[in-house]
Amino acid sequence: MKILERLATRSAGFRRGLRGCLSVWLLSGGVALAQQVPVGEHTLPNGMKMLLVERHDEPTVSGAFVVHAGSANERPGITGIAHLFEHMMFKGTPTIGTKDAKRDLEIIAEQEQVRDQMRQEEHKMRAEWRRGDITDLQKPENQTARYRELEAQFKQLVEAQREELVKNEFDRIYTSEGASGMNAFTHYDMTAYFITVPANKLELWMWMESERLLHPVFREFYAERDVVFEERRMRTESTPLGKFEEEFNSMFWEALPYHWPIVGWASDIPAISKAEADQFYATYYAPQNITLILVGDFKPETALAEATRYFGRIPHGKVDAPDVVTLEPRQEAEKRMNAEAETNPQVDILWHTVPFGHKDSYALEVLAQLLSTRTGRLYKGLVLGREVATDTFARQESRHWAGLFNAGGEAREGHAPTEVEQAIYDELDKLKETPVPAEELQKVKNNFAAAEYRKLSSNSAILFQLIFNDGFGDWHEINEAGKKIQAVTAEDVQRVAKTYFTKENRAVAIYLRKASTEPEDPLLAGLSAEQKAQLKPQLERLKTATDVEKLRAGLASMEQHAAQAPAEAKPMIEVLKKKLLERIAELEKAPKN
Amino acid sequence: MHTFTLRSLALSSLVSTLGLAAFAAATDTAAIPDRPEKLHFPPLVYEPPNPADYRVELKAGPVAYVVPDHELPLINLALYVRTGQYVEPADKVGVSELAGYLLARGGTESMTAEELEEKLDFLAAQLNSGIGETQGSVSLNLLAKDLDTGLDILREVLTKPRFQADKIKLHQEQLLQAMKQRNDDSADIEEREQGFLAFGEKFWANRYPTAASVGGITRDDLRAFHHQWFHPANFVVAVSGDFDREAMVAKLETLFADRPFQGEKSPAIPTNTTFAAPAVYLVDKDVNQGRVTVMLPGVLRDDPEYFAIAVMNRILGGGGFTSRIMNRVRSDEGLAYSAYSSFQGGVYYPQPFEAGFQSKSRTVAYATSIVLEEMKRIATEPVTDEELETEKRSLIDTFPRAFATKAQVAARFADDEFTGRFAKNPTYWKTYRDKVAAVTKDDVLRVAKEHLTPDRVAILVVGQKDQILLGYPSHPVKLTDLAGGKLVDVPLRDPLTMQPMTK
Repeated sequence: MKILERLATRSAGFRRGLRGCLSVWLLSGGVALAQQVPVGEHTLPNGMKMLLVERHDEPTVSGAFVVHAGSANERPGITGIAHLFEHMMFKGTPTIGTKDAKRDLEIIAEQEQVRDQMRQEEHKMRAEWRRGDITDLQKPENQTARYRELEAQFKQLVEAQREELVKNEFDRIYTSEGASGMNAFTHYDMTAYFITVPANKLELWMWMESERLLHPVFREFYAERDVVFEERRMRTESTPLGKFEEEFNSMFWEALPYHWPIVGWASDIPAISKAEADQFYATYYAPQNITLILVGDFKPETALAEATRYFGRIPHGKVDAPDVVTLEPRQEAEKRMNAEAETNPQVDILWHTVPFGHKDSYALEVLAQLLSTRTGRLYKGLVLGREVATDTFARQESRHWAGLFNAGGEAREGHAPTEVEQAIYDELDKLKETPVPAEELQKVKNNFAAAEYRKLSSNSAILFQLIFNDGFGDWHEINEAGKKIQAVTAEDVQRVAKTYFTKENRAVAIYLRKASTEPEDPLLAGLSAEQKAQLKPQLERLKTATDVEKLRAGLASMEQHAAQAPAEAKPMIEVLKKKLLERIAELEKAPKN
Repeated sequence: MHTFTLRSLALSSLVSTLGLAAFAAATDTAAIPDRPEKLHFPPLVYEPPNPADYRVELKAGPVAYVVPDHELPLINLALYVRTGQYVEPADKVGVSELAGYLLARGGTESMTAEELEEKLDFLAAQLNSGIGETQGSVSLNLLAKDLDTGLDILREVLTKPRFQADKIKLHQEQLLQAMKQRNDDSADIEEREQGFLAFGEKFWANRYPTAASVGGITRDDLRAFHHQWFHPANFVVAVSGDFDREAMVAKLETLFADRPFQGEKSPAIPTNTTFAAPAVYLVDKDVNQGRVTVMLPGVLRDDPEYFAIAVMNRILGGGGFTSRIMNRVRSDEGLAYSAYSSFQGGVYYPQPFEAGFQSKSRTVAYATSIVLEEMKRIATEPVTDEELETEKRSLIDTFPRAFATKAQVAARFADDEFTGRFAKNPTYWKTYRDKVAAVTKDDVLRVAKEHLTPDRVAILVVGQKDQILLGYPSHPVKLTDLAGGKLVDVPLRDPLTMQPMTK
């Protein structure tokens, strides 16, 4: 039950995560080694699609359903609803999760009446906020008296409901039947629910998943909404870069609904109502908008028959989900964000590129790979060559409605992020000016080709590739993308480099370390801010200095001139002397190179 | 002819549609039950693989687990090495990290680092190396056709690493950059301080590389460290993939034969841990969500009651959504996204019990009080039959997942060899499910009472001190009411020296 926002928000952890997670489809390729995943495709009478991959390595079946709706299907005011809704899908059905379905629904209705009144108070509180009477809507002391009264009433109804609840029964059933890895994620383009069951319990999966799609009950809605807000605090608000990445993402996408975060704006999450969630379900969770996927130890004909029986019960939706019609307007000018954060100085650059399945997406993926890894051009050019960075990355991300290219790096001590930025542009300029040598292109293609095999290493690896390919637009790409990548030429790479990597097509985030979070050495405590600033670069250099003789000479010269130094500089000189002596002692203790 | 083709196509699709419809209609007559308990499942018979079937004692020294798997033309080889941070000299903290990282990335006698990486990358081969607290590892994943080339490279990496000077300097700078981030993320601060509370300031695992220690490490240090520990008597091997068993054994003999240098047998891992005195330990950090860990002294994984402890922990907080802490802190109260407990037995020294969550500053104290309440409840009242059955069946029925792929089979057995479990208990996996099945409600209550002792609790909190101490108006509990009312302010550590900082 997580947001796959990390697919789009580019934190350091996410970069690793993305490589791990998306490499399975980004790296699918290989004419020479073409390895087809034998996928059986079927459509149930109600329009629900089903993909089956039979594999008998282990006695389990990994199953998923992908809903073709994510945060890009929201609107301002209900941002975060696709994700909150995903959480609600684990709350049960009329027979799972309660001892008394009728009483349960009555209490939910009563709760909604109280909540309607609370929403009126929230309306007043927002008005107070606009007038400047209060500044923080999350602060409990800012709630109106009436709101607190209503909240106490609501709490009583929650306690009444708890009498009838069977806590987290949906999960308990699966757990006690040996299922594992039950989870779900929400992305801009899709929401997916997945689990692995023992091979003899495929029918349990059919029962559980079809029941919750057929008649979910959204009980404990408001406690779960609070859980989601804690998830937002955990991932976005209390991490060093979370808030900045959210802002940068929002700045990059002008018109497309990728503009808001998957988890939702802080103002919207606590305002989403159960009625809005009901409506979202009715619009987007219809069979014609869902794909079932099974990978593992089963007989396809049995699985298809059972799926028809179980999922076939769900009526075809009366109307199809509305299309996203907005097209991102062409960006006319470079955008820049200058941030000070608790982080090492670094640069993050985004360019508008192409969506999933676009004919240029394959050349852009090859280009990303040419720039990536320790034998790639960014590492060689920026880390080893110009020595302006200690780490770099590059990736193409093709989503359903649009795509982006992302590159960046961490600045080396003594270098500014803008130097890293310029060095990245210089590498891209080389790609624009000169076709990639044949051997270098082949090296990259060999890696795509080997990934054709690596992607088949486990049921869950195959399952996730199918989830993403289907969710982004076409599951066939699991078998087709590889060939298209092998067909990319040096001219293609040169052409896409020229087309997409222009100044007006990019957004740049420059991160500097926030001054107050500079690591503080206890020895510096007695110095003025100005003195600290003066001393720090010298102390930094000292840490990596290795020439004892030079250090001794420096010490001697300092001692000579100490007498003439102004009184206020004395503490600073003392600190420096102490540090010099420490470093000399340390170097002398260490064996020589 | 044209018409016929169309008709036959139409006909065949009609037949298949009818066939499906008929089949669906036939099964439809069996009504779908209203509860999943009414479903009937065929039995699932599963026997875990037997380590003896794959175990080979190589003449060259190491024990290898050799698991052929012809599904894909890939080979995965992993080498586990008896070394780690624990053997670092006190004035060379960081040498294992540098040596481990640079072994596969710093070149060899005949190849520069750049040549080595280019050669591997052109073959799409993945060579990695690293050294952790108590284990080093070197792994190679490549296409089966490149096996001989790959093993030649691996032999050179293992015996004649270059530790190229510019790569040492670069990685020292990368480590320095990473150090500077030590206080940026509250999760990193929490993880580090958990270690100090669980094992004590003086314990070897709490020695952190500093700017000075890393800066002082030389190429000679790396070579000495490598020569001392990287020799066959300290290796265990796991290999799986597309090869013939006998041929692979012969290749491994060649790989490890005629070592050019003699090393040392690795010493025992020191176990002199000390657990923190009971108190609330608070690190002030300006983030709007506090991170909390409730800690208690732990156990070894060889503890005779370990299976009862594992079941107890799953009921309390280790079983995800079926566990009590998750139900109360998250699901009932909406106070946290993640809420858990963990009671992993240590391999070499006890790993602590931990229960934790992240909650907005104002509700930190209230959520902590709920966790303590649940710890107390499970130590005083028997769990329900349903709770016990759910967690036991889960452990038993998910058991086959432990051996889901051939690579996992090889890795798991090699790990047992490495950590001494195979020598001590060769039928550990064969009897695993029986040991789970034998756990009773009395066992759960007894181990909870023995280990979840409220008077020994150390609580670590990382977050906005003022807001956290303020509490929440409708939940009157205060942080200072917990853990005997003792509150210890824990200063942040200077990221480059790891010395406590003054404000």
